[in-house]
Amino acid sequence: MDLLNLDLSGPQWGLVWPQLIVFLLAVVLVFADAFIPKHRSFEMLTGISIVGYLLALGALYWQHDKHAATFQGSFRADGLTVFLSLIILVAAIFSVLTSANYLKDYGERVPIGEYYILLAFSVLGALLVSSAGDLITIFVGIELTALATYVLTGYTKRNAQAVEGALKYFLLGIFASAILLYGMAWAYGLSGSTGLDNIRANVGAAVEGQEWFEASVLLALLLLIVGLGFKIAAVPFHMWTPDAYEGAPTPVTAYMSVIPKAAGFAAMIRLLVQGLGPLSEDWRWLIAVLAVLTMMLGNIVALSQRNLKRMLAYSSIAHTGYMMVGLAAYREGTGFGNDLENIIGTRGVSALLYYMLAYVFMNIGAFAVLTWIQARGRGVTLDDVSGLASTDPLPAAAMAVFMVSLMGIPPLIGFYAKYYVILAAMEADMLWLAIAVVLASGISAYFYLRVVAVMYFSSSDVTNTRSVRTPLLNASIILLVIGNLVLGLFSAGIVDLSEDWTNALTVAQTTDGADAAQVTNP
Amino acid sequence: MELTANYFLGLSAALFIIGLMGVLIRRNVLIIFLCVELMTAAVGITFVTFSRETNTLDGQAFALFSIAVAAAEAAVGLALILAMSRRTRSVDIDDFRSLKD
Repeated sequence: MDLLNLDLSGPQWGLVWPQLIVFLLAVVLVFADAFIPKHRSFEMLTGISIVGYLLALGALYWQHDKHAATFQGSFRADGLTVFLSLIILVAAIFSVLTSANYLKDYGERVPIGEYYILLAFSVLGALLVSSAGDLITIFVGIELTALATYVLTGYTKRNAQAVEGALKYFLLGIFASAILLYGMAWAYGLSGSTGLDNIRANVGAAVEGQEWFEASVLLALLLLIVGLGFKIAAVPFHMWTPDAYEGAPTPVTAYMSVIPKAAGFAAMIRLLVQGLGPLSEDWRWLIAVLAVLTMMLGNIVALSQRNLKRMLAYSSIAHTGYMMVGLAAYREGTGFGNDLENIIGTRGVSALLYYMLAYVFMNIGAFAVLTWIQARGRGVTLDDVSGLASTDPLPAAAMAVFMVSLMGIPPLIGFYAKYYVILAAMEADMLWLAIAVVLASGISAYFYLRVVAVMYFSSSDVTNTRSVRTPLLNASIILLVIGNLVLGLFSAGIVDLSEDWTNALTVAQTTDGADAAQVTNP
Repeated sequence: MELTANYFLGLSAALFIIGLMGVLIRRNVLIIFLCVELMTAAVGITFVTFSRETNTLDGQAFALFSIAVAAAEAAVGLALILAMSRRTRSVDIDDFRSLKD
């Protein structure tokens, strides 16, 4: 019994800087909101938020060559942490830029400070999941992200649709969390530890030759995949997505289509690959089948949507499917241990990570243009963007870039993202999965190009009813367009960086003094 | 009769399934919410049982965390249900249908 073998030496704060900065940012925002005079709060809070996220992004640089664990192994600074945090922080900066002008517009009716505070806590939760070395950290992180997002969805509380979307999101979200928690309980029961390294060691050793054990491992796997399937909006657990996306204020939709999904995928990689990687032959088929269902259904239902927010909701479901292909392409050979020789197909997870970064630029971009249009008094249906190119050529051009990128046309970033996913599927001998990705992209061309056609070739019968200046939103759209055009061409370097994730699979050296990642049977 | 871990695991599985069925069958938002809380509490029993079985403390810590998270969920959830029921004068989930395809 090892109960008293606790290590009381302090944690290594030096490893935690990016996460710590975001936490401090949230605390600073709480106080700033209380003490800064009302008429200055918009500029101050937006500035503090952006500076905070940029500092955290800079601090990632010091984390990037570490491979260490602290807080008794429950916090890990490895390649996976760094790349996921990069995705989340970039998305956070663009979320702030996208929503700032919207908030100022609504400033009379809704509190600005709470928005940034909730956003910061939500980003912190996602960062915790990506750096988790322990089931508890994953669960608390994912709940922190989700709880803040429920509130943000219903942020304009006088809008009945927003509250309804938030309530539906909330009910299905906590239902999924309960299922996820039950899965974690079984994963813990089977391995006797909540540490992912210990789970990896013990499950792998115990699975061989015990049939009852195999059954309960499968139960745990099933519960974990169902619970996380809700979080990332995989079919058949996607019912909340269109309602929550449509109900939420558009900048919040931009944010919630990216960061909670990134947190869900982070949890999936940590749990399934890092924790339960030895069972990859058991879970990858399930993930592969769900991936095909997700991308097919998402794209087919999107065909019939005339509301662009709803269309993009189904499109984001389809993109979840493409990302899951990357996860399905992961496989570990027989045998077990810390040597990477046994692992074929680590490229799958790298492709997923690259896809998520590309998805940040494509999807936040599309919603940012919708926010731009809405700020000028238009709606978000296809009719509202009809003839947009003749009245507002620049936003129409930006929207065209995002649509074509989401569709996956070279040389935009969306093409490279799909290319790496397809390549990974083929390397893992899953040709049918690669073909499914291509077919699904073919279907998606129809509704993405329809938006472009309506903007450029239809006559305009809707005009802007308000004229407002939205400098931050414009800057965000321009940066996102540049990202879409340029990042694809430099994808080799980014993919190399994402390849570093594999050091998450080896036991990190701990800096606490104790051997927190001890891999012995309890 | 000796009380083994299996009885506790069975109890928590039964409670979990009762909660699950409640979520799927009942139409009252408050009842659905309570059923999810029941599921979370049931998982707590599983954690404590496994904690005793494997002689580790991780499970008990996790059970405490799950209770704290459930409390935070209750705060957010009841606020949302209140905001919704003020608007629709109803707590029936079938009345919340302004968003659909």
